Parts: sequence; C-alpha cells; structure tokens
Amino acid sequence: MSAPLLELRALHKAFGPRELFGIPRLALEAGGAYVLVGPNGSGKTTLMRILAGLDRDARGFLFFGGESVHVADYPERLRRSIVYVHQHPYLFHTSLRHNLEYGLKCRGVPDAERARRVEEAISWSGLQARVATPPAKLSGGEKQRAALARARALEPQLLLLDEPTSNLDREGRAQTLALLAQLRAERRTVMVACHDQEVIRLEGFTRLRLEDGGIALQSG
Amino acid sequence: MDLLEPTTQAFRLLLAGDPELLRIIWLSLWVSVAAIALVAAPSIGLGFLLAMTRFPGQRTLVVLVQALLSFPTVVIGLVLYLLLSRRGPLGFLELLFTPWAIMIGYMVIALPILVVFTISAVQGADPRVYETARCLGAGLLKASLTTLWEVRFGILAAVVNGFGRAISEVGMAIMVGGNIAGLTRNIPTAIALETTKGDFAQGIALGLVLMVVALGVNVALAALQGEGGLR
Repeated sequence: MSAPLLELRALHKAFGPRELFGIPRLALEAGGAYVLVGPNGSGKTTLMRILAGLDRDARGFLFFGGESVHVADYPERLRRSIVYVHQHPYLFHTSLRHNLEYGLKCRGVPDAERARRVEEAISWSGLQARVATPPAKLSGGEKQRAALARARALEPQLLLLDEPTSNLDREGRAQTLALLAQLRAERRTVMVACHDQEVIRLEGFTRLRLEDGGIALQSG
Repeated sequence: MDLLEPTTQAFRLLLAGDPELLRIIWLSLWVSVAAIALVAAPSIGLGFLLAMTRFPGQRTLVVLVQALLSFPTVVIGLVLYLLLSRRGPLGFLELLFTPWAIMIGYMVIALPILVVFTISAVQGADPRVYETARCLGAGLLKASLTTLWEVRFGILAAVVNGFGRAISEVGMAIMVGGNIAGLTRNIPTAIALETTKGDFAQGIALGLVLMVVALGVNVALAALQGEGGLR
C-alpha cells in the first residue's frame, strides 16, 4: 500500500478551555475524494482552514510529501500544494481572466502555459459566455464555478472545498455538482465539507464524519 | 459691499493669465502634489500594517495617529518653524521660508489622514480577500498588495482628502513659508493676504481655482468609484 498523500497526527483544536476536536490520525490517499460531514459547529471549516494553513492556532502534525511539520509552523510551500476554496468564494474585483491567472502568476507559470490553463479553466467551468462580465456581476453559481476553476487550474495536490453548493439555486447547484463529479473522475485529491445530501451521495466519495470531537470513516 | 465688480475682475485676471496669479497657482499645485506623492506610499504602508498586524504598542500608535488628525495645523507650523529656524536642530538645512518647508508641513498634515483612512479601508475589507490571495499561493507582500488593490477606492479617497487638506492649508504655510511673493506665496496664503489688503479680485480668482481643483479631484474620484461599483 502506498503512503498517503497527507496525514494528520495528534491534531487538537481548542477555543479556550473547550476542545473542538482531537484527531489521533487522519490519512488522505492521493487521488482520493472525501466528503467531510458533521453537525454545525463540529469543526469542519476549522479543520479545512488548518489544512490550508489559515488557522495555525492548533496543535498537531501534518505529514505531507514525506515531511512532517507542526501545524503552527505551516510552511509556505504547502500553499502551493493545498488550495482551499471558501464557502462563499471571493473573486477579486478585476476580471474573470485575472482571477483565473492570479495563482498561476504567483507560481511563476510561463505566459503561454498560463494562457492555455486559463482558457482551459474557462471552458471547464462553462463560463465562456461570461468572460467579459465583471466578477461581482456573476451569479452565486457562476462565482462558485469560477472559484473551482481557479483552484483547479493550479493543479493542487489537495483541493479543499468548503460547502460548495450552499446558498446556490437549483441550476447553480446542479452545475457545481457536475464539476465535483468531474473532479472525482479526473482523480483529483479533493475534500469537500458539506451538509448537502447530493454531494454526500456522490459516487466515489469517501465519507468522513466529524462529530463529538473526533473523526471517523463512515460507510454507506 | 459690491461683489459683482471684484468677481468680474477676478475672471478677467484668470482669463488674461495674470503671471503673478499663475505663479501662485503653480506653486500651490506642485508643492501639494509632490508632498502627497512623497508621503502617500509610507503612510498607506503604515496604515496597512496597523490594520493587519498586532504588536505591542500598536493601539497606542493608532490613537496617536488619530489624535494627529485633530491637531491644530498652526501648532504643526510652530513645531516645524522651531525645528527649521536658524537656531533649530534642522536649521542647517536652510529650508525655512522655502517651498520645501511648506511641502514638509503638507506631508505632516496629510500623513495622519492617509494612515487613518487606510486603516479604515483595510479593516473594512472582506477578510476573504487576503485569505484567498494566500490560498492561491501569494506571498505576504503580494497578498497585502492585492488587499490594497481591492480597497483601492478607499485608498484613493484617502489620497484625495490628504491632497485637499494640503492645498487648502493656510496657518502652517504662512508660518514656515512666510508668504513671500514669487517664492512661497500659494493660493490660500495669497487669499488671506489679498483679503486683508482689500484686494478681493485676486482672492476671488484664487478661491475659484481652489474650488475648481477640489471639485475636479472629487469628481474624478467619484467617477472612478462609480466604475468600481459596477464590478
């Protein structure tokens, strides 16, 4: 059996005296698709933010790419491998293309390759007709698709999606679900936090349940 | 008092391109623009740091900068005068009664405006801006610049306000500039002088220029904000 892509060990998160969760071990396999479920307040978003390096106020170790780091010392290079998309994604007030190429520029992707990936992201998200639309004028579903495409274009080793279908209308939800299924089909390593039963039931997703301060694999 | 006659004369002076008037206008404009250009970047940087980071004494620093906002400008002029006067610690620079002294004063007056406005703009920014930039792989500097870009209209408002305060400042400009004709006389100091002399035409002409500049800058800002609002 191959080594997991990412492994968390002895992760503890507390708010003052109250421990939110304590996770002895959690391993995510490369190419795996995971759906993180649990009641409100169980810490799904917090766990994702720790994995993305946005919350360093926790204890525990992260094993990634053969290296072990304390979550409080989250290294910059991990940001190039793990990409987190907010529940309500933020699109910069520039243009859709600029949003799609932002992370690619940060990574120093050459012009020609960057242009190719941006075009591919536009086509993947189905936003060809909305390229000239200012991001603030996009619908909730379109913003979500743009944010997914922006994150996917970076080809991260792990994609963290926080409630990607929440607050979307029926059409936006259906389109986002289709993109999630596509990510699974592309064998991207992805973890989705959600309550949405349709996402939870997506084929090929392993269910992780965060509840009562612990995490467990859930079957069925 | 007859307002029509001096107002007509004021327009005549402006239309005739009176050299004395033009010299005063030019001095006011270049000194104010240069002062804001020099002080903007460090002030915006300081405002950003005060808004985004936590360090011991940070709150005191913010309160201090806020207090500077309501500091009487004549006191700023007095302190500068004492610093720049021949016997002062900076007297060797021989800047007193030169446009450079006025420029330094403008910078001191504009600094707290720029800092406080920047703090307000950055603190009002959506926290997801910085986080999104970081999540997409931006380093600390790039993510900070992205955040500033996202609140650019608030920052522009800071710059416009700083410029407005500078170009209309009288007390400090008289104290450290001396209101010397052809050298340090600018729009507000000239208005003050001509009014006391009873020469209202030049005062009205310069007042009109000041109003046009203020209006122009604010209209440009509103136009930019309108454009941004569409996004």
